[in-house]
Amino acid sequence: MVQQPGEQDEGCSICTKPAVARLTSPDRLLCADHFRMDCEERVKSAIMTMITPGDRIAVGLSGGKDSTALLLILTEILDPPGDVSLTAITIDEGIDGYREETRAAATNLTRQLGIDQIEISFSELYGHDLDAMLAGRENEACTVCGVLRRRALLEGARRAGATKIATGHNLDDESQSVLMNVLRGDLPRLVMDTASGYPDCFIPRIKPLSPLSEKEIVIYLMVRGAFPDLPECPYAHTALRGEVREMIAELELHHPGTKMNLIAARDGVRELFGGDCATDALPGSGSVTWCRRCGEVCSGDICSVCRVLSGLDT
Amino acid sequence: MILPDRSSHTLPPDPVQITELLRMYGCNPTTVIVIRNGTVVPEDVMAEGDDLIRIVAVSHGG
Repeated sequence: MVQQPGEQDEGCSICTKPAVARLTSPDRLLCADHFRMDCEERVKSAIMTMITPGDRIAVGLSGGKDSTALLLILTEILDPPGDVSLTAITIDEGIDGYREETRAAATNLTRQLGIDQIEISFSELYGHDLDAMLAGRENEACTVCGVLRRRALLEGARRAGATKIATGHNLDDESQSVLMNVLRGDLPRLVMDTASGYPDCFIPRIKPLSPLSEKEIVIYLMVRGAFPDLPECPYAHTALRGEVREMIAELELHHPGTKMNLIAARDGVRELFGGDCATDALPGSGSVTWCRRCGEVCSGDICSVCRVLSGLDT
Repeated sequence: MILPDRSSHTLPPDPVQITELLRMYGCNPTTVIVIRNGTVVPEDVMAEGDDLIRIVAVSHGG
């Protein structure tokens, strides 16, 4: 390609090598190496507030892009790991034609990184795979899968003896959740902080990738040659999240910083409610109780897993 | 230029900022990765006739 005078691509703001991304706040162009360092630094800075020495972290590893990036970055920034250890937890929901490839990708990654992996299947835990449980009720797929997967991840974390559960939720996921909770008028869920509330009752969940956008995660994986170009989940469709995603993307394009501002607003509301366990003060949130069917922690008589399972013809 | 929906389009002969092309084809730059001649580049770099531009959507729903 012949460049015209004055039209040369700008190089990295730090070293002048060819840039792979332009970032905002502050505005900067970064080459592959400096972009990778920048991402890892931001995650490192975030995770320092999430973990304590001696933590054993159960990393939810589906094999998709977010969890792949999460495990890669954690092994990088916790290397040498010192007294923080990692175990990957891979859930096999039983989705024919989809999960086989991602499971294989997850297992290959853990072998390559030398990380222990625990695999748990819905069949083992609930007696049926997701495909069987959803027959004729596919429109409930994401809700059912989300509830059952959270419990499966918790079970994996217990088997690993974990003190924290790390998931690959990114800035886009988080900002979408904030807006969805606002649109649903769900204040308890907006304020709830699973990273610190009720530490005696459940294993705290942390989201180390929350400073990175989905786009940054994909670029990170591409420059590391680790982008898993895998099939989409055949059940992936959530109307509200899709609409919110498009809305925030448009706002972010015209008003850079929108996603970060949504997170900051949520954090501000959390502080107003007094922090960690303040959800007790909110209408509809209730205190922690134990499910009378399975004995797990919940906020009512019956936990969401038992409700989901009893509502299905399984 | 290959878009996320796999449709292909011929680039204009004169240099153009890729952001302009994204706008023309209705792609939000915050939701796509731009690969020019096999290399990831910021969306505001230039492209012209003989470049191969691939646009990859970063979100896969769900």
